[in-house]
Formats: sequence, structure tokens, C-alpha cells
Amino acid sequence: MSEYFDEEGKPILFGPDFSSCPQPGYQELRTRCPVARTSVFDQVVIARHEDVVRALRQPEIFSSRVDLQLALGTERPMIPQQIDPPEQTRYRRLLDPHFSRRRMQRLEPQIREQAGRLIDGFFSEGRCEFDRDFAVPLPCNAFLNLFGLPDDRMDFFLEIKDDIIRPQVRHEDADPSHMKEIRAGAGKRMYAYFEEAMDERMDVPSDDLLGSLLTAEIDGEKLERSEILDICFLMLLAGLDTVTATLGCNLAYLAANPEQRQRIVESPQLIPGAVEELLRWETPVTAVPRVLLQDVEIAGEQLEAGQMVTLLLGSANTDPEHFEDADRVDFERARNVHAAFGVGPHRCLGSHLARMELVVAMEEWHARIPDYRLQPGETPRYSAGIRELLYLPLEWDVPRAS
Amino acid sequence: MSRERRSLRLDAALCSGHGRCYVLAPEVFGEDERGHCVLLVEQVEGDSLTAALSGEQNCPEGAISLHEAP
Repeated sequence: MSEYFDEEGKPILFGPDFSSCPQPGYQELRTRCPVARTSVFDQVVIARHEDVVRALRQPEIFSSRVDLQLALGTERPMIPQQIDPPEQTRYRRLLDPHFSRRRMQRLEPQIREQAGRLIDGFFSEGRCEFDRDFAVPLPCNAFLNLFGLPDDRMDFFLEIKDDIIRPQVRHEDADPSHMKEIRAGAGKRMYAYFEEAMDERMDVPSDDLLGSLLTAEIDGEKLERSEILDICFLMLLAGLDTVTATLGCNLAYLAANPEQRQRIVESPQLIPGAVEELLRWETPVTAVPRVLLQDVEIAGEQLEAGQMVTLLLGSANTDPEHFEDADRVDFERARNVHAAFGVGPHRCLGSHLARMELVVAMEEWHARIPDYRLQPGETPRYSAGIRELLYLPLEWDVPRAS
Repeated sequence: MSRERRSLRLDAALCSGHGRCYVLAPEVFGEDERGHCVLLVEQVEGDSLTAALSGEQNCPEGAISLHEAP
């Protein structure tokens, strides 16, 4: 008996079934209720590819100004994610070159070395908990590199990020009503840290991202410090968790599908295509929120201005109306126009960094550990919302030293 | 072997810099400073047509199109 829907027929998006295996739930949503209401929060869920993509391309109706509703510990909207065009476009013009594919290629050797070092740290044990040992530290290291921050601050940033994204994990005993305070507290620690890092760079200029933002200009004017903080906040929240979740989803899929894993081990040149296809199939960032600025009709449903809507990227990416053989995972799919990084003006700023990290991680992992499996008797655990594998115990055979 | 020639078009207003085209078909598509698409050629045929088609098929914004060559 599946638990995708409650007794009223409303989707339980934050339930275990949607987290661990969302595709059948998406299918039911698309066919039975393409515009669904949820029981928790007052959300409307949009499931069809056509509707999701249309919404993403109409920021004048589907606004990203959801900072107050989401209450993620921010004091202002995150830049540029929670700002609408045309203001958002000015920030993207400034930020896009810092995240271009060419620029991200420069970080590749460091990420590759770090991936190798992480694996070397546990390889001889023949087992690891993939999330804690690999998927969490790798993107955090990339973030620190990019911003020119010292490696020893990793735990500090991970705590802040976790307090904001899933406060209940680190604060199991806290009353649910305190989550907002925990988030706000973490936000303050983040603001304070970056204030200090900016002060240091005012004294000694540097060419890392933070240093570049301090000297950057939009239309001849330097960014306010508060604007830089709002950019940093986004990078911390968007840049770590998403890649962590994607790495976990990929390895969980490949551990469960050895014949697919064998294909990329035998032909590593398939890895970039596998990364794209698993982004489509797993869509670890399952949805993005928007708020309606005017009344609108979607799939025959009337929605009112002010309504929060959840655009289900994962459902759009598995919609058979848009993808041939949508339920087949094909690493050599000729036409793969997935929306895992969104589409339209808010296309994920870090998509080129994410893709590089994912490809490098998959290459380094499979070159060193081609044959692995879930530890016997164990069950992987997915988080709700962004589908992070909070628990993914893997094992492999270690060649005996002769 | 047909030597079909097509002309390549980009709707720059739709491009949002996914970069699929210049990763999959660097002989036909390039990138500007922001990582948005730049067409390197206007007409394609043979191998460059195959490459251009792969870029066109994988653009999430539908910003690339192929037309009958004049």
C-alpha cells in the first residue's frame, strides 16, 4: 500500500514514499490531479511539464519573492534567487561570468584531488557511509575553494546550512515551534562570519569570489555589503545541499542497478550522459516555490493572487508527454531537455559548478571503487524535500595485500 | 550521402546559459562571458549538421533552431 496520498487524496510530498521513490507518485499526480492541494502548508502543487515550464518562464506572474513565506533565517531576499527580473537580470549579468563553465573548469583539479583524497581515506576499510564520508564534504570543500575560505571552517558552515535547511535533524529534542528561531540564529552566525571575511578582504584584497564581489560594480555602483551577504547566503544554502543530495541519489541508484553501473565502469565516457540522465530521473531538488502576483488559470484550475505554488521539477522531468520512454533510464538519451536546474531566467546559477563536481566525483569514485553494493540488511534513508541520502551505507571488496 | 545544408538560428532572448549546446557540440556553438550561447557558424552540413542537431535537441529553452538554407 503506497503512501503517496492521504485519505483525502492529497499528496504527501514530505512523506517517505515521495522522498525515496517519487516517480510513481508524480505519475499519479499528473494523470489524476495536475494541480493539487497539500494538507500541510497552503500549497498548490503543479505536476505537468507543460505547466511547470510555462510558470518558470513567466516571472511576472510566478514571482520568486518567497523569502517571507519560506522564512529560511534570511533578513532579506537571497540574491539573485528570490528576486524577479528586471532587477534579477542585473545581478545575473554580474554573477554569471563567475560561474561560467570556463571559470568552473579552473576548479576541477582541486575538486578531483579532494575527491581522490576522501576516497583514499576510507577505501581500505571496504565500507563507508556515503553521505557523511563523501557526499557532504566534497561540495563543501568546493564552496570554500570558490570563496577563498579556509578548509577548517567546514564544520562551521555545515552546521549553519543544516540548521537552516533541516533544523529538526541536529535539534531532535527541540520543540517544532523553535525551528524558526534556530534558523534565524544560524542566519545571524552566517551574516557575522561573512562580515568578518569581508573586513579581511578590505584590508588585503583577494581574487577569490568574495574579493571579486567587493570590487564588482553594477552600472558603475559597487555592491552594498548587505547585497554581498544576500549572495553569500544563497551560495551556502544552494551550493552544498543540492550537490550532496545528487551524489547520494546517483550512488543509491547505481548500487541498486548493477547492470547500469557496469556500463559506466566499462565506458567512463558515458559518465557525463549518466549525470544528465540521473538528474532527470532522480531530480534531487524536487521542486521550486513561487508566489502568484495575479490570478491565473492552470490546467483548468483558477488560482488567486498571493497563492504559493510548488513547481514539481521532478514530475516535469518524468512526464511522458515531454520525454520519450520517460520511465526508462538511458545514459545515452539523445534528447534530454530536463529541467533539473530549472529553466527560464532563474536557471541555476551554479549549474556548471554542479555538473563539474558530479562528473568528477563519479569518475574518481568508479575508477577506484567500480564494484560496490548496499551493506546487507541496511536500508538507505532519504530526507524529505531535497532528496539527500541521509544514510547510505556502502561496501566493496578490498584486494588483500600480498 | 546527402549534402543537406541548413541554416542555424539562435533566439538569444530565450537562452539562459545552460551550456548544453557548447558542451555537446563545441564545433558549432561557443559561449560568451556569461556562458550564454554564441553561434560559431551560420550554415551547417554533414558532421556540423549532426552536431548542430544535438545542440538543438538538448537546449532546455528551445532557443536553437535549424531552417532550410537560403
